[in-house]
Amino acid sequence: MLADILAVLPETALALMGMVVLILGLAKVRNHLAVAVLTLGSLLLAGVLLSHVGRAVDPGEHFMFGMFVLDRFAIYFKALLLACSFLTVLLSIDYLMRHDARPGEYLALVMLATVGMMTMASGVHLAAIYVGLELMALSTYVLAGYFRRQVKSHEAAAKYFVLGALSSGILLYGLSLLYGATGTLELQAIAGRLAQGPPSAAALAGIGLLACGFLFKVAAVPFHMWTPDVYEGAPTPITTFMSVGPKAAAFAIFLRVFDGGLAPVAESWRPLVWGAAALTMVWGNIAALTQDNVKRMLAYSSIAHAGYALVGLVAGGDAGVQSVLLYMLVYTVTNVGAFGLVILLESRGYAGQTVQDFAGLARKQPVAAFGMLLFLLSLGGIPPTAGFMGKLYVFAAAIRSGYVWLVVIAVLMSAVSLYYYLRIVLQMYLRDGEGVEPAPMVSAVWTERALWACAVAVLLIGLWPGPFAAAAAAGLGIMPLP
Amino acid sequence: MGAELIVIAGKLIVLATLLLTAVPVMVWVERRGAAFIQDRLGPNRVGPWGIIQPIADSVKLLFKEDLTPAGVNRWLYFLAPMISVFIAMLTFIVVPFGDGCGVTILGQPLGSLMVASELEVGVLYLLAISSLGVYGIVLAGWSSNNKYSLLGGLRASAQLISYELSMALAVLGVILATGSLRLDEVVAAQSGKLWNAVPQFLGFVVFVVAAFAETNRLPFDLAEAETELVAGYHVEYSSMKFAAFMMSEYMNMVTVSALLVTLFLGGSTLPGVHLEGWLGLVVSLAVFLGKVAFFMWLFVWVRWSLPRFRYDQLMRLGWKGLLPLATVNLVLVAVGVARGWTWI
Amino acid sequence: MTEYIPVFLFTVVALLFPVVTVGIAWLIRAGKHDPVKLEPYECGIEATTFAHDNRFSIRYYLIAVLFVVFDVETVFLYPWAVAYRKLALFGLVEMFIFLAILIVGYIYAWKRKALQWA
Repeated sequence: MLADILAVLPETALALMGMVVLILGLAKVRNHLAVAVLTLGSLLLAGVLLSHVGRAVDPGEHFMFGMFVLDRFAIYFKALLLACSFLTVLLSIDYLMRHDARPGEYLALVMLATVGMMTMASGVHLAAIYVGLELMALSTYVLAGYFRRQVKSHEAAAKYFVLGALSSGILLYGLSLLYGATGTLELQAIAGRLAQGPPSAAALAGIGLLACGFLFKVAAVPFHMWTPDVYEGAPTPITTFMSVGPKAAAFAIFLRVFDGGLAPVAESWRPLVWGAAALTMVWGNIAALTQDNVKRMLAYSSIAHAGYALVGLVAGGDAGVQSVLLYMLVYTVTNVGAFGLVILLESRGYAGQTVQDFAGLARKQPVAAFGMLLFLLSLGGIPPTAGFMGKLYVFAAAIRSGYVWLVVIAVLMSAVSLYYYLRIVLQMYLRDGEGVEPAPMVSAVWTERALWACAVAVLLIGLWPGPFAAAAAAGLGIMPLP
Repeated sequence: MGAELIVIAGKLIVLATLLLTAVPVMVWVERRGAAFIQDRLGPNRVGPWGIIQPIADSVKLLFKEDLTPAGVNRWLYFLAPMISVFIAMLTFIVVPFGDGCGVTILGQPLGSLMVASELEVGVLYLLAISSLGVYGIVLAGWSSNNKYSLLGGLRASAQLISYELSMALAVLGVILATGSLRLDEVVAAQSGKLWNAVPQFLGFVVFVVAAFAETNRLPFDLAEAETELVAGYHVEYSSMKFAAFMMSEYMNMVTVSALLVTLFLGGSTLPGVHLEGWLGLVVSLAVFLGKVAFFMWLFVWVRWSLPRFRYDQLMRLGWKGLLPLATVNLVLVAVGVARGWTWI
Repeated sequence: MTEYIPVFLFTVVALLFPVVTVGIAWLIRAGKHDPVKLEPYECGIEATTFAHDNRFSIRYYLIAVLFVVFDVETVFLYPWAVAYRKLALFGLVEMFIFLAILIVGYIYAWKRKALQWA
């Protein structure tokens, strides 16, 4: 009993603080900064609790009636997710103030989404996973439409909600078929049942639907259609959040369910994920080539990155899982940085939306331009940045598992991706941007802090990947199979 | 099995008769009551004291032209009154309307006089079925292609769902004190102690107020407010379909009164009275009917005494008044039961 | 399943009753159709719009959403209420936590004026 409560302490604390923030946001005296700082403090508190609780509980034990574990894998993802949310809140503070928006609901929803994602990372029971997923998804739908007076934001929320609800339905069908075929919702027990013999038709159908649902959540082709519109329309800090947090959480359950519970029937789903990974990399990168809107371009780029991460999932095994874990970290810091710079440019008076808006940036804002260069190089996978290390581990794992063709596709597509990343670099450094007056500086200290953190992380992981790879390796042993 | 079925059929016939005779009687009581309160005569031509008046009314309605106005959604327009009556009748099935008092028929014990006496989920069944009642009203309002009925249907649906919450929470207090979802056990639990209306006075008040709102009766008859919406959701209905809405309204009153009596006022029991055999059965039936009759009269009394609420007042009362009160009641009962207070 | 036999029986009765009464009325009704008679009942002047073309307040929708939230809460409480005596103190504490979360939502809805009509 006590251990149960202890195990969910970080989530409980965060949920409680979320409610406090929600109510404080209603107060007549508006001190937006105080509420935001309280949010940051709560996320930190959850992190501290996580580190203590993680040491205190037994990583092999199942809590809450076999629904919840706190193994190294969960702790790794939870730390990553908390970091995602922390960076998102940092990016949001200036943005919210600039738009004079109420921060209460916004920040509370970010916190509740984080609770949902953390539950996903810990769930070893399909019901727990689904509840976490829905908590995250519902919060994100609202966040995407937070500026409801803006038509684009509205549209983004509507599309995201309709397609998200559809995918949740598909996922649920998959879960119920799997439940029908195996008679249990616990991943470990499911693995046990599936290991007994060839899977039944119902189980296969369930796995297929489950894969569709998860592929939707990680925005992989052919379930990616919502991504560009939603990423373009949503408030940019929320776009940032959606492109990292929910995606990382979705990969956490993807790994946990497919490489854990469904590992005995890996041969039945591996071709499916193989195809999705290849399609995602090809289509994500090719579609990004034609985008003039930076947010849309980054949306397609994030689709492509989901494809790279899927390569790690296909590779499987310890090396594959480790590479996905590391890739998620790398992708998070890089993508937050890239989106953060878009926000920063918006706040500095540049539109920051079309590629041409970046013309002559190096002359006017040399530091920002250099930061963008760094993040774009990392997205493209050029050393000495983090992106290179992430891809290196993924590709190495895939080659070791014998998926050479997939790696060939991935490398080719990485080369393609350089074209559109470098388009922005070209604009920044080689166009003079005549006619665009430098806008007056706007105070965006919080955004800048987040960006500095990301930049340092990108360089640190790129130059000294050892500790990070070790942390990812420690997250292995997803499910001790019976 | 055969004897069992006969017993069930017998109870069923008694129940259906009670329910269907209650409607014309109530119509008569309402009209005469209104006249009495307003110091006039009321219907007094058809039969002694006009007692045959409702029969004459229904014969008239039977012969009326059945209009289907232009532009209505025919299928839903036809379905709506059917749903209303159907649901109104179905809800009554789990109400114990008397005590069997150990009487056996064909060797089969009667148990409590309740049609579905073996149903373990009585209250859940009741909530589930009664919440379907709103469909009849919404569909009628929507399918009629009339602005009055659309507004009436909307108002009614919002009102019904708002008060359903408070009602369900008030019932929850009773369930908590009883520990069972069966209504006959709710009655049995009240027989040895105070009726629930006393220790759970808050819940009782909430339930009474919500009962008026759930049946769309004054002071909550916003859905058919004559002065603004003509007749609300059934403005386009005539003949037997109109009669169907009327019947369902009165049946709902009977059901809600019976529930009030069952949940909060000891059902068919009287404190200190324990009779056996057929005499006990008849007395318990009479006690139950008497208690129900009191609430039926209360419905009439209130209708002709109180003015109508405004819609914003109605919503405020429901969401900001009754809902917190019902929650407070629930918490009090929970604490009381946890402390081991037996009188709760 | 035998306990549901009376329910099915009564369902049949309840289904038949309205159908039969309306059916009788349909058989013996008077019928003199006239296009003017079939117009929607309004104010005597020909209606210019259909009822379904009109907009209505978004608050009805809000109320419906709030209803779903609180109704699900109530439904969750029913099994708890039945098992309350067996759950003892644990049940009490659990319920208070559950209610506390909902009350936060309730306060929020109240303060954001979602419960206020107009």
